[in-house]
Amino acid sequence: MTEAIAPVRPAPALAVEGLTYTYPNAFRPALADVSLTLGAGEFALLAGRSACGKSTLLRAACGLVPHFHGGEIEGGVSVAGIDAIATGPGDLAAAVGYVAQDPETQVVSTTVAAEIELPLEMRGEPCISRARAVEEVALALAIPHLLRRTVDTLSGGELQRVALAAALVTRPKLVLLDEPTSQLDPVAGDELIWLLRRLNEEWGVAILLAEHRLERCLAAADRVIAMDTGAIAFDGAPTDFLAWAQDTDTALETPAARLFSLADITPLPTGVRDARRTLTSKEAGAGERVGGPGGALGFSPLSGRLSPTRRGEKQDAAHHQDPRPSSNATAVELRNLWIELNSADQVRDVVRGVDLRIGRGERVALMGRNGAGKSTLLRTIAGLVDPVRGKIDAPGGIALLTQNPSDYLVRERVGDELPGEEGRAALRVVGLEHAVEADPRDLSGGERQRLALAIALAGRMEGEDLPGLVALDEPTRGMDRARKHELVELVEALADRGAGVVVATHDVEFAAAFAERVVLLGDGVVIADGSAAEVLSGGWYFATEVARILDLPGVVTPEQGAAALAEDLG
Amino acid sequence: MRSPFAYTPRPGPLQAASPSAAVAYLGSLVVVAFVYSNPFVLAAVGVAAGLAGRLAGAGGAVRAAIKLGLAIALPIVVVNALVVSRGETVLARLGEWPLFGQVDVTAEAIADGCIFGLRAVVVMIAFAVYSACVDPDRVLRALRPLAGRSALTATLISRLVPVAAADASRLRDAGRLRGPRAAPLGRAALVRRLLAGSLDRSVDVAATLELRGYGLDAPMSAECDDCGRRPRFDTRFYAVGTLVLTAAVAAKLAGADQFDAYPTVGVGIGAATVALSALLVVAGFAPWQPRSRSARGRGTVDD
Repeated sequence: MTEAIAPVRPAPALAVEGLTYTYPNAFRPALADVSLTLGAGEFALLAGRSACGKSTLLRAACGLVPHFHGGEIEGGVSVAGIDAIATGPGDLAAAVGYVAQDPETQVVSTTVAAEIELPLEMRGEPCISRARAVEEVALALAIPHLLRRTVDTLSGGELQRVALAAALVTRPKLVLLDEPTSQLDPVAGDELIWLLRRLNEEWGVAILLAEHRLERCLAAADRVIAMDTGAIAFDGAPTDFLAWAQDTDTALETPAARLFSLADITPLPTGVRDARRTLTSKEAGAGERVGGPGGALGFSPLSGRLSPTRRGEKQDAAHHQDPRPSSNATAVELRNLWIELNSADQVRDVVRGVDLRIGRGERVALMGRNGAGKSTLLRTIAGLVDPVRGKIDAPGGIALLTQNPSDYLVRERVGDELPGEEGRAALRVVGLEHAVEADPRDLSGGERQRLALAIALAGRMEGEDLPGLVALDEPTRGMDRARKHELVELVEALADRGAGVVVATHDVEFAAAFAERVVLLGDGVVIADGSAAEVLSGGWYFATEVARILDLPGVVTPEQGAAALAEDLG
Repeated sequence: MRSPFAYTPRPGPLQAASPSAAVAYLGSLVVVAFVYSNPFVLAAVGVAAGLAGRLAGAGGAVRAAIKLGLAIALPIVVVNALVVSRGETVLARLGEWPLFGQVDVTAEAIADGCIFGLRAVVVMIAFAVYSACVDPDRVLRALRPLAGRSALTATLISRLVPVAAADASRLRDAGRLRGPRAAPLGRAALVRRLLAGSLDRSVDVAATLELRGYGLDAPMSAECDDCGRRPRFDTRFYAVGTLVLTAAVAAKLAGADQFDAYPTVGVGIGAATVALSALLVVAGFAPWQPRSRSARGRGTVDD
């Protein structure tokens, strides 16, 4: 007699049951009664505003909470059937891989090969199987050429891949990633997300990804979990999440969803392909010809339907909100600027013969892939790096806010950083006059950034003292949309006072929100320089989500897109 | 900017050898530098170490070590000349100095200081070659089964030193960018901030180590012993190291280390000294690798 074999159900990749956690010395819990189950092979996106508990949940899932951080914990967490609260993170690492936000502190070895091999070595794996695992994970992540390199010669994107490889080398059932694209350019960010999707599909690895720039990864996800003040506020499919965000928290809307929401089109799209498909069906329903010539992708829902005159009108209309008349006063002028840096035993031309003029009152986004020379250019203008050739003319001086605002905060009281009446004036300008007695470390990320800007501008806030150029280097790392909006207002206020403002950024949506001009650097040379509307609607990677959907010259923001759609479909 | 002393993976016998073989080879040169005071022998050790670095592709590290060594050697010579008044050849009488007392500069004291300085330069070159050519990951891996906690501490330090250096550089840059009415950066504030930042950094690095499984029991087989292969060039470096030490002991017994600084300078250049010096220079060729057969065109390899 044969018995029917019952199918074995694999343990969920992650099961969290009634989890409440409070950090040591904290007054309120970082996680409050969180319950969720992530099935084997699922790809889930963890969304929510800054400090809502995303990182803490990820740390609980890999065992760092409570084993490493301490604190009080209630409830249960299990990873692939292993009790994460009873087991330490070292033992859990065979079942779960964790990649944190800052790649600098995630590498502990000297060479890439040793870094990837370390988790296996710690488990006493034999040399031959270690070598095979390192080779396979390197191939999967397209980094075999990096294996012999030392980690201090890698770019941020390469380091992030190495950290991911070290997390994957034990072939875990679950991979946790905390804002892995925050330091990557649009190209590297997109590559990483689709790499995760491929690993998820081919290896069956469950992925839990915390991210602010949802437009980058929503289309790749099977499910979205949104958190609010330590609790789960939403758990469902991406399309349902967009409808929830529209009703509950518009700061979590993607630009594509905002476009459709403003144009009153349903269903809300999870990505560019989804949006184009919906628009095509709308056009077909309206009896129009589908597709048309032109469009960077060989297909454009609308470009075939707009007459050249109307397209031109749209471009003018879309030219950024209140385009400032080009100022005659120069904020900075670069002539034939060449900059060399030493890297990995060789001297490299980072900036090659750049000519650039920025006027006072202009808002400029400086864009380009990792290593294109953006930060080096700003540091050179600020006098931190000497050019090898060329001339820099900055008649009003420059105030530079470098990538990490915490570098400016060296005292334990805000008032000690900015003493005297002029210090108070600087705090007033950035809206921090109430925080004089606070410890800078207790401020939120956005407040810390404003304080750092006030320190850079202290004594130069008024009239002729205001620097001709205010430069910010990657200011939106790890910021949610609400904080980015505050930053846009600050940039506009500085430009209104007469400073030229240049922001080096990878965030195309942020650039579209604040900039009237975009300068695109590629391999140390300026490869595009024009209005934000023109540059951000003319490509694949350095283009906003709305621009990629509509492919209309000059249309980059959801508001501009909605106006174009209303005119075209209405 | 990358330190010239930082390890850089390169193909070559010294890099391919196990850390213990590299330490045996370079360590034998350092031992000779400490045991001998004869300037010819010391110079030969310096040439050997420099040659070894050059052949291993670490010429930059050797040059940087010479510069750094000279910067250390010069004060040694000056201080020795000022504090030691022994020797018969008085070059200058500088009178009574506070703390120093009567200061007489003698040729012997300068010569003695030069020997100390030369020793510092030579040792610096050997350590620079070690730092640039020996993979620290392999060293830590070799240490782990012997002393797990020490290896953990060494790993944290080896990772945190460059991170702290980068932090300090960034903080100094941010200090230069402060507005004229912001409180100046100040050395005390910088150090305090750097220490606080280092603590945060070390917590992050320690968390990563924990996730990688450092808390688990260290495995007993650290290096690739389980593959059953000894690194290809180990025998060569162990043999050269042993030969150098044996020759150094034999030459010492034969009176090779004749050097007296006081009361007058006397340097012995006997056969034993010359032979040992020549052997040391030849030992510097140990990392030499002849061009491969395929590179000489005798055959090709199709993968």
